[in-house]
Amino acid sequence: MTLLRHLAAAVVLGVVLVLLTIWLDPFRQYQIAEIATYVIAVAGLTALVGLSGQISLGHGAFMAIGAYSAALLLLHLHWPLAAVLVASTVITAASGAVVGVAAARLRGPYLAGATLLLAVALPSLALSDPSLFGGDQGLTVAVSTPAFLGPSFPPTRWQAWLTCGCALITLVLLANLARSRIGRSWRAAGDDEVAAALAGLNVARLRVLAFVVSAACAGLAGVLLAVTTSIVTPGAFTLTLSIALLTGAVLGGLGSLAGAVWGSLVLILVPTYVMDVATSHGLSSSAGSNIPVVAYGVVLVVVMLLFPDGIQGGLVRLYRPLAARVPRPHWRGRARRDTAPPAAPAPQPRASASEHQEEGSI
Amino acid sequence: MGESAAATAEPDALAVQDLAAGYGGALALRGISLTVRPASITAVLGANGAGKTTLLRAISGVIRPRGGRVLLHGRDMTGRAPEDMARGGVAHVPEGQGVIGELTVEENLRLGALWRRGREARAAALAEAYQRFRVLADRRQQAASTLSGGERQMLVIARALMAQPQVLLLDEPSLGLAPRVVAQVMRLTAELREAGLTVLLVEQNARSALSIADQGVVLNLGQVVATAEAAALATDVQLRQHYLGF
Amino acid sequence: MAELGQLTLGGLSVGMIYAAIALSLVLIWRATRILNYAQGGMAMFTTYLAFEVINHTGSYWAGFAAALLAGLLLGGVIERVVIRPAENKPPLNAIIVTIGLLIFLEGLAGVIYGGQYRSFPAAFSIDGLHIGSAALGISANDVFVAVAVLVAALLLAALFRYTAVGLRLRAAAFSPPVARLLGVRVGRMLTLGWALAGLIGALAGVLVSPSTFLYPNSMDSVFVLGFTAAVIGGLDSPVGAVAGGLILGVALSYVSGYLGSDLVPLFGLAALVVVLMIRPEGLFSATSARQV
Repeated sequence: MTLLRHLAAAVVLGVVLVLLTIWLDPFRQYQIAEIATYVIAVAGLTALVGLSGQISLGHGAFMAIGAYSAALLLLHLHWPLAAVLVASTVITAASGAVVGVAAARLRGPYLAGATLLLAVALPSLALSDPSLFGGDQGLTVAVSTPAFLGPSFPPTRWQAWLTCGCALITLVLLANLARSRIGRSWRAAGDDEVAAALAGLNVARLRVLAFVVSAACAGLAGVLLAVTTSIVTPGAFTLTLSIALLTGAVLGGLGSLAGAVWGSLVLILVPTYVMDVATSHGLSSSAGSNIPVVAYGVVLVVVMLLFPDGIQGGLVRLYRPLAARVPRPHWRGRARRDTAPPAAPAPQPRASASEHQEEGSI
Repeated sequence: MGESAAATAEPDALAVQDLAAGYGGALALRGISLTVRPASITAVLGANGAGKTTLLRAISGVIRPRGGRVLLHGRDMTGRAPEDMARGGVAHVPEGQGVIGELTVEENLRLGALWRRGREARAAALAEAYQRFRVLADRRQQAASTLSGGERQMLVIARALMAQPQVLLLDEPSLGLAPRVVAQVMRLTAELREAGLTVLLVEQNARSALSIADQGVVLNLGQVVATAEAAALATDVQLRQHYLGF
Repeated sequence: MAELGQLTLGGLSVGMIYAAIALSLVLIWRATRILNYAQGGMAMFTTYLAFEVINHTGSYWAGFAAALLAGLLLGGVIERVVIRPAENKPPLNAIIVTIGLLIFLEGLAGVIYGGQYRSFPAAFSIDGLHIGSAALGISANDVFVAVAVLVAALLLAALFRYTAVGLRLRAAAFSPPVARLLGVRVGRMLTLGWALAGLIGALAGVLVSPSTFLYPNSMDSVFVLGFTAAVIGGLDSPVGAVAGGLILGVALSYVSGYLGSDLVPLFGLAALVVVLMIRPEGLFSATSARQV
């Protein structure tokens, strides 16, 4: 039932996107491809942070793994694109497993610190072997438009179709996962580990699985990034990228797949607009390139303090009378309380407990 | 005990009017009213979850009341932050004692009077505490976490007294203590009353509490179900069995 | 043998910088149970301020003092305005907030000053010191760095141990609700804790910037290593922070000297991973293995 609903929504969205790519100019088509790529990565990250309660500041590194593995497979083994997509995703998922296992015991700030190090260390790994990884210049990726589309099919439109198709598939899979038993288990373990463990959940395995899934998404996004930009360099996968992904997830609403879409839209569309405004007012381009970073920082702080449920949460609140059955994105952690009520027999109703009944987010 | 005539001229040391408070969506106190005469002990009794601890917290400011008033010697102190209530003369010894284990005994004591002005006053308070509580003097440089249960209770009461409060809120001082030690604590509380302190004493151990109290207030499900002189409460068999379990 | 001595001394001096960052992180962690990812960014910002003051007045010490003062103020203001609302929310919120603060500060510095590396003056000579004809491997400035951090750490320790304010700070950190009941204005103490941490961080910034050069991301690696030092020593332990910093500084100095400086970041990462795997509560923490 749920699967059907998700598929139907995906089909409708797919049709809309196809029409858009036919109607809009090539630059907009490229932007659609960019947005779709980010949606995949942000969706994986929002599931990791919002559902399983683990933070990652290193998802840019997973994108790099996906991108570089794809570039190498294309360059040296000349695999077809479909095979590369699958293989790179699997490779990145495996790396996600490694990180997940290493990080399984880490919580909160320690996990953030470890993933931060991952984000910082991995690009330098790419620089360590210039013959293999192409050093600073990176590796070129050349994927031509498939023959069956005809010789005059615009490459930007084909890339938009490719990325949007992957994005829709990813969203459907994640949506089903979120509503499945695994998704509920993630939320249970993320809310209260001890309770989840006592209820029989294998918390460590769930945490690793969350990393695997989100890394796979990031890896796929990395491949698509390589395809659409035709190049893979260390400079494309800096810490700023990891932060941007987190910003997109937070802004959209942690744990919400629709939020991943909103967040990605903002991430791609707003900075270019803001930078244009800034440079037209005389700001140098190097200074101007920092404006998005400043904006990310402000967004993270303001959203976390004032609107923790992000855009999707805000929309849901606005339209709650109309769409009372749309579930709220799940973002609950354990609040720090100085004053809990006395240890009386009646258990205190925790905000998160009531949310367990809710379904996953769209 | 019956000299209430002398007290009618002065305002009650502590008056609670229609106090309501709770946690999250639930109300733990639904309109509590009580008055405490100066230099007396009022025992607040009732079963687990009746709202006794919540009452003390709402008075001392740990939780913000949702309705009603708290008057200290006639002054409205409702909803003030705990720091301000402490500086205003209300000392709250919380449930679980609240010993800061990482600090020494002496540091815990000094903490109680830090906000007071005047080095001599603070030094005098410390000397007085050591005189009254010899066991604390013996252990003054030890980490507070090394104290036994009874010693900790002494420490937190002594610490509360460092501020020279007008009203002392004691939450379950007998919890986890051996009967002999409980008797010690009760004796101490009675002595403090003789010295002029006003005490609001929350206790599960109703028998011990009523043995030293002047007045008793019984709570059930967030409401007052009985207010009477302690002796009367102690002899009301029906009330005792229904609400107090003995 | 002489080389070992040189590397050790050099490592101790650098280790003091890590110790300073670690100390500021521990201060904040003990007070508010938050790991301040923006600590490096704050230090970078105050160093830029010192840079401005030095350029305008020509006096290094004026800039030095300005940085310390700015660190004090910045730390206090950030706690009061940005962190206070996050203190009672889920811990993940606070992490994201400090990350946001970090990139905001780095981005702002980039907008105002641009990305170019600027040279920052050292307080004293950076020529190598010699005893007779033997090179010690450190300079007068390195000695100043070590002494400055040591003095700051000792002053801080004295503040906490022997003053009323220090007692209040500790009480507010160990048990905020009980401290409140005893009349301690816990909010102010938290602000003060952050202010002191900002001061120490600012000190680290001006001390390390001569060798790293000053640019928006200049404090990133120092922060990461300071964080590692704090974890090694135990986030709860100020003594551990200093010890962790020194140990890390010396170890990395050996790596750089014997294995090559390229391996230093990787080794730092490995050290952090090893500590987190084996003894996440750190070497000096008194508490048993808490959940990391």
